[in-house]
Amino acid sequence: MTTTIAGGRAARRQTMRRIRPRRSPAVPLLLAVWAGAAAVLWLWWHNTPSIADTDGKILNAGRITGLLAGYLMALVVLQMARVPALERRVGSDRVARWHAMSGRYTLSLVFAHVFLIMWGYALQAGKSLGDIVQQTIDSINQLPDMGKAAIGTGLFVLIGLSSIGAVRRRMPYDTWYHVHLMTYGAVFLTFWHQITTGNDFALEPIAKTFWYGLYGAVTALVVWYRILTPIRLNMRHRMRVEAVIEETPGIVSVLIGGRKLHRMGAEAGQFFRWRFLAPGMRFSSHPYSLSAAPRPDMLRITVKAIGDHSARLRELRPGTRVWAEGPYGAMTASRRSRGKVLLVAGGVGITPMRALFETLPGAAGDLTLLYRANTTQDLALWDELAAIAKERGARLMYAVNSPDGERPDISAESLRRKIPDIERHDVFMCGPNGFAQGVYEALRGAGVPARRIHHESFEM
Amino acid sequence: MRKSHPIRRVVLATAATVSGVVLLLSLKPASDPTSAAAAGGAAAQASSAAQDTPQGGAAAAGSGTFTGAVAQTEYGPVQVRLTVADGKITKAEAVQAPKGGTSDQKTALSVPKLNQETVTAQNAKIDSVSGATYTSNGYKQSLQSALDKMKASAGSGASSGGSASASASASAGSGAASGSGSGSTATQARTVTGKVSQTEYGPVQVRITVSNGKITKADAVQAPSGGLSDQKTALAVPKLNQEAVAAGTAKIDSVSGATYTSNGYKQSLQSALDQAGG
Repeated sequence: MTTTIAGGRAARRQTMRRIRPRRSPAVPLLLAVWAGAAAVLWLWWHNTPSIADTDGKILNAGRITGLLAGYLMALVVLQMARVPALERRVGSDRVARWHAMSGRYTLSLVFAHVFLIMWGYALQAGKSLGDIVQQTIDSINQLPDMGKAAIGTGLFVLIGLSSIGAVRRRMPYDTWYHVHLMTYGAVFLTFWHQITTGNDFALEPIAKTFWYGLYGAVTALVVWYRILTPIRLNMRHRMRVEAVIEETPGIVSVLIGGRKLHRMGAEAGQFFRWRFLAPGMRFSSHPYSLSAAPRPDMLRITVKAIGDHSARLRELRPGTRVWAEGPYGAMTASRRSRGKVLLVAGGVGITPMRALFETLPGAAGDLTLLYRANTTQDLALWDELAAIAKERGARLMYAVNSPDGERPDISAESLRRKIPDIERHDVFMCGPNGFAQGVYEALRGAGVPARRIHHESFEM
Repeated sequence: MRKSHPIRRVVLATAATVSGVVLLLSLKPASDPTSAAAAGGAAAQASSAAQDTPQGGAAAAGSGTFTGAVAQTEYGPVQVRLTVADGKITKAEAVQAPKGGTSDQKTALSVPKLNQETVTAQNAKIDSVSGATYTSNGYKQSLQSALDKMKASAGSGASSGGSASASASASAGSGAASGSGSGSTATQARTVTGKVSQTEYGPVQVRITVSNGKITKADAVQAPSGGLSDQKTALAVPKLNQEAVAAGTAKIDSVSGATYTSNGYKQSLQSALDQAGG
């Protein structure tokens, strides 16, 4: 083990200046989303004078689901536009979970919409539910932009299938990702029939303008934050691999050099999506946390070899170009309230904790790090942590399995025994989901309020 | 970091969505109160229009236009107007038909068929259009009332020969314009039909009612139909009619997405205006 990066003093001083807890904008954002949904339903209400019989009811159910799907589809894309307010303040993990949830819901609405509308048209034409296939073919042939919409819906079926848990786990990440990118095409293809055949837009210029505005704004945000911002970032900072260091068996650190890296505004606890321009790696990017406070000339990530991509990292040659997007993530010093801080790391979840341990503002005795690993050999970065603890007067604890494989006791009682004033701590936590869930419950049991437990998880 | 319950979430989301949609649907009335009120007004207006419509005809048989009474359906009012020459229905059209929501599609689908059937059958015994039963029934009711008026006028036309022949000569003189002068009030309302304008999608023909030199009403007696055109016509023609009344000239905006229809409309409108002016 080598101490590979040091000197976070300047960075710490920088973060010291702002110890003002910032609220996540999640609640106002969710309110705005609900208000938008209400407006969309009002549009339907306003344009529908009356509904008489069964076919009218079915058709109107189809219109409502269609309108909501069209509205939510824009938001589903927006959630992945890497808008800083979402990525850095709400938190990338939370937004990704929103995206997965709302994406599934929206696709369900799309399929319900297609089924209900075609059923309703079939009834209206004096046919029955059995003729729905023929009715669908007729509608695709006769109505404007329905051909495009049909292709788009086909893509949605494909994307939906590839995102079902069981299918996704069997699929290489890159394949899934590239299937998922087709969402942009599907959204584009299905947009036009909303405008030309949707009763609420074809005949209502104001509603149509708003709809164009919604989709136009989302498109602009995607182009700006997913394409132009990364290009500018990488043109400016020109990052390259400096060195690859093996920390413990299976865990490597990658040192990345570049120009004026402090100007990227990255903070301890955040991550970038990294793409290494090496053979076999250039087509996928992966999120890895910074494992040290960023320095003007150097960034460091520490990665455990669990997937294809992370296993290849150890073969990276110095000088390899790096394409990074970020910084993302909301688990930074600005999350904490005043008082003491407990950091809890599980396994390779130490990486953001290591950076926070170095830079979180606080006096001697305010800071505690609890590090859980299988064995003492697996305690990556331990020497660095010990040095930081000594310098800052912070507490450093580890919990490993006993020699006979028994798990250490992390419960409300043991936590309270070790840290008597635990309920007055902010807790930052990073680790596998099962571990985090267990610690969360122990912390709550020990009296830590939920709003003071800060956690990021990328497992869906 | 609360425990997530995926199944519970799916059940909740589904239940909430389904009950929300059902609630919204059930809150909507089965027939439209506002359009019924509007239809009341329209009916009053229509009945006066029906009086205004002169029974200009040749001595023996009824000619001119006859507007039936408004028939209320669950989806809105239906009103039929017939153009009659020498006692024969040469044209049938709906001056009112259900609009809004899914009704647009139904109207675009059923009304042209009903019109055609009426001209073929020459009576109110026409087949309903499947999928548009309510509209069809309303249409038949209003059609019957228009036919009754037509018969009555044929009778009166025969008895009071003097006045009828006067307007008959006027109508004969105007040729293509099916002139229908009104002598009952001070206003000189006149209906002028423009020339047929051929477009790539089919013929467009505009009829305007001119009163005191102003367009009080414009409608398309012919417009592209079939396939996509039904939708475009349903979309564009009402707008163009409105614009024509508002502008008073043929300098109206085209409806985007229906450029050919709009241009044909403007041509025919110009021709109608020329006739009205001349």
